[in-house]
Amino acid sequence: MKRWTLIAVATGVVACAAVLGVSSAGLAAPSGTKSKKAVTLVWWHNANQGAGKALWDQVAKEFHAAHPDVTVKPVPFQNEVLQNTRIPIALASNKPPDVFQNWGGGSLVDQVKANKVQDLTKYVKPWIKTIGGSAAGWQVNGKQYAIPYSVGVVGFWYNKELFAKAGITSTPKTWPQLIAAINKLKAADITPIAVGGKDRWPDAFYWDYLATKLCSKTTMQQSAVTYNFKDPCWLKAGVYVQQLLNLKPFQDGFLATPAQQGATSSAGLVANGKAAMELQGHWNPGVMQPLTPDNKIPGFLGWFPFPNVPGSKALPGSLLGGGDGFSCSWKAPMPACAQFLAYVDSPSVQRRIGSTSFGLPVRKGTESSVTDPNLKAVLAARSGSPFIQLYLDIAFSRAIGQALDNATADQFAGKATPAQVVAKIAAAAKKK
Amino acid sequence: MTAGRSKGWPAVRRQGRKWLQIAAYIAPAVVLYAVFIIVPVVQAIHYSFYSWNGLEPLTDFVGLGNYREAFGDPAFRQAMQHNGILVALSLGLQLPLALGVALLVNRPMRGRSLFRLIFFVPYVLSEAITAIVFLQILQPDGLVDQTLKSVGLGGIVQLWLADLGLVFYTLFVVITWKYIGFAIILFLAGLQGIPQELNEAAAIDGATSWTTLRYITVPLLGPTIRIWAFLAIIGSIQLFDLVWIMTLGGPAGASSTMATYMVDQGVNSLRLGYATSVAVILFSICFVFSILYQIFVLRRDVAGGTSRMAG
Amino acid sequence: METAGVRRGPFSNAPTYVIAIALAVVVIVPIAYVVLSGFRTTGQIAADPVALPHPWVTHNYTKVIASGGFWRQVGNSAIVAAIATILVVGVSALAAYPLARFQFRGREAIYTFFTFGLLFPIAVAALPLYLLLRQLHLDESLLGVALPEAAFGIPITVIILRPFMRAVPVELEDAAAIDGCTSFGFFWRVLLPLTRPALLTVIILSVITSWNNFILPLLVLTDPSHWTLPLGAANYSTEHSADTAGVLAFTTLSIIPALVFFLFAERRIVGGLSGAVKG
Repeated sequence: MKRWTLIAVATGVVACAAVLGVSSAGLAAPSGTKSKKAVTLVWWHNANQGAGKALWDQVAKEFHAAHPDVTVKPVPFQNEVLQNTRIPIALASNKPPDVFQNWGGGSLVDQVKANKVQDLTKYVKPWIKTIGGSAAGWQVNGKQYAIPYSVGVVGFWYNKELFAKAGITSTPKTWPQLIAAINKLKAADITPIAVGGKDRWPDAFYWDYLATKLCSKTTMQQSAVTYNFKDPCWLKAGVYVQQLLNLKPFQDGFLATPAQQGATSSAGLVANGKAAMELQGHWNPGVMQPLTPDNKIPGFLGWFPFPNVPGSKALPGSLLGGGDGFSCSWKAPMPACAQFLAYVDSPSVQRRIGSTSFGLPVRKGTESSVTDPNLKAVLAARSGSPFIQLYLDIAFSRAIGQALDNATADQFAGKATPAQVVAKIAAAAKKK
Repeated sequence: MTAGRSKGWPAVRRQGRKWLQIAAYIAPAVVLYAVFIIVPVVQAIHYSFYSWNGLEPLTDFVGLGNYREAFGDPAFRQAMQHNGILVALSLGLQLPLALGVALLVNRPMRGRSLFRLIFFVPYVLSEAITAIVFLQILQPDGLVDQTLKSVGLGGIVQLWLADLGLVFYTLFVVITWKYIGFAIILFLAGLQGIPQELNEAAAIDGATSWTTLRYITVPLLGPTIRIWAFLAIIGSIQLFDLVWIMTLGGPAGASSTMATYMVDQGVNSLRLGYATSVAVILFSICFVFSILYQIFVLRRDVAGGTSRMAG
Repeated sequence: METAGVRRGPFSNAPTYVIAIALAVVVIVPIAYVVLSGFRTTGQIAADPVALPHPWVTHNYTKVIASGGFWRQVGNSAIVAAIATILVVGVSALAAYPLARFQFRGREAIYTFFTFGLLFPIAVAALPLYLLLRQLHLDESLLGVALPEAAFGIPITVIILRPFMRAVPVELEDAAAIDGCTSFGFFWRVLLPLTRPALLTVIILSVITSWNNFILPLLVLTDPSHWTLPLGAANYSTEHSADTAGVLAFTTLSIIPALVFFLFAERRIVGGLSGAVKG
């Protein structure tokens, strides 16, 4: 009967699909296969180009040579895709990578609460002191859940030649001096500051920094725990930001400028001499390098730390910063994963992180590996600072951090007052 | 064997077998559809009643809390407004434009096939590619700016993507670029279905072009226009890819749509329960609109069709 | 199909050509710009965004064509498109048949049920869909992308096929019945060949939609060796963001497969869409 043929065909199609599905899933790369001896570590990181990618590939090979029973498989991703899409999805599945990029802060707290990362405390006890205060940013309740490998601070990357042209003789050390410098640049018809408004987090750097420079250390440290923004210093931060915005110091169309992509990004503008300075993290020279016609870090590039605000409660020299680290997912084989993280923080690897300008090493004693004069300045500022605050959108849990970015972006667009910025962040905190 | 006049197979078959037959034909589609569309959507509705960050298990039940929050959030209301403006602009600007071009191109002209081909190309490109292309040419001092300057219109150069008041309309222009060809082709096909004799008869009776247009052409194009309008409105409500890649809904939400708002909440803020509630709202709007549209607008087209075919 | 509604009137032919050409220019120029810019270096583009290539630089294009990744992505996209299309056309044709030619209670309800699929943008269902695929162990597999794509394609396919199937005269059915043909026999041997224009239309639409699909492969496929072309293009543009020329070259090459396919098939799409609209 033709009709039965039809039914059979239909069932067959669906059945075939199911079989194909199961078998092709089997063909997909398995992660962290555990056999008796041989172990594979799938390693998700964000160095998808340049010196960092080459270094991590090399590190994977070296670790395998030293531990023949462990194979490390590096998988690079673009940073935002990794942070916003890949990692959250992977952690929600039951096939996570073994080693993955971790920025600490509120997201780490959430991961710990959901038992997605392993407690490394007992594995790292022998050597954790060698990375000093940096370790604290990756702890939750005093326990170590991830290991940083590079920590830097945010500061102003500036064009020495343009500063000279505008008649600025020394870099600003105080807020009024910064305002004066901006005015001088404007008078010389130079775009004072480039900012990547499209990505929003560069806007947040300004608000974060002014909060760090205006609020006491205790207030800042408590903020990611209590989410209480009643201290008037928070409002003041927005007021100071508004003072800056009223000067109109940014490039044309800054609201749509990306931070790092292409020669017309904010980094590209500074790299090509079209803007005098940019408030960015320690990665900026590496970002600028491919954006120049000759693929070199500009020779005119200098760095100075964010100026202090006179008469504030904050410790002078307080800085905003953060870094990159790795953690072991709940399915990672131990102690292999912990041993690998220890290797990433070993003197040999840390020195190479510094010498390739890939990052700023955290291991004590390896500071001399950093040769770039600007990065040396950043490193010196980091070491000499009494207090480093983690970027607030990382320190806070994800949703609140995003609300902060959105609120400051609104202020930059003229759509929010300083009071409204605080209100929006507080409102987001209540929803939690 | 008696061959019935009805559409079905000869009435000789027993009712039960007929149902089994129908079920067999429809089953594969229903299974695929149910598993990959209905089930996820039902699950989405389920998630929408929770506050969930995707990491921990689904425990934080908030009932209608997410929905109340959405309607209370000025950013979401702004996004909804944008979708509404988009619908109005599509009907008010794209429709006359496409109709006008279709009417013009419908005249005897050489190379009509070539033009048809060219107009349809943007439709074939993905929205992502379109976004990359226009991001490139809308740069300050990019192709658009330089072209305007070279024809002396330098004065109207603006910050197309950075100006809060302008960015949404810039996106509308890009959307029109992508989809106008589709409308033109559709209307062209509809126009070609209008019998020549009607126009000739009208001309003989002394009708002017405008009268012919108003009383013959446009009414006969009715079904085509109504279907296009349906697709255009649904597309306007669901718009995502292009906006996301070009502006992320910014700056400061100036170009947001309900879909970009939803993805921003779900992906950037990891508020998955809340994001799915926005998704449910989005779908409900489409659903209600679709039902109303079918009842009040499309029904007479379909009704006429069926009775003609049933004979 | 080419019978035009000729109208006399105050319009002369010149404005028609002017407007048609103007519109064609507006349509083509952005694409041409991207294609041509691929033949310049990034430095040239940064210095002067709008200029013809001079000299013509081919390494952007050759770099992409020579990279194994690009062709693997093309292959993945092709596999997904093929599976999705065969599935969606197969099940939709089967389903459209009784919806078009049988008389039974609930027929319109089932048809409307299928059309609801138009109302879900894939972004709405993306997350729960991903979690479902994970449960079915279809994540990280090309089949996990093809099956949902087929499902989402059912509504438009049924909508297009039904009126074409309905248009086949009853007499043919009767004749087939007299010859001893079963309903499936009629479907397979008479109806499908007669609805070939519509079938070609839906095949083409399905291939193009699948080819351009971004968000579903983004969620499902993490391993770069499984990526489809839109994923590869997006990744290339972020990984080599500094290399504007390279990004534009990659973008251009991504367009070509869909464009070529469309050029061969353009008549069919238009014919199919207009038939569906009238039906």
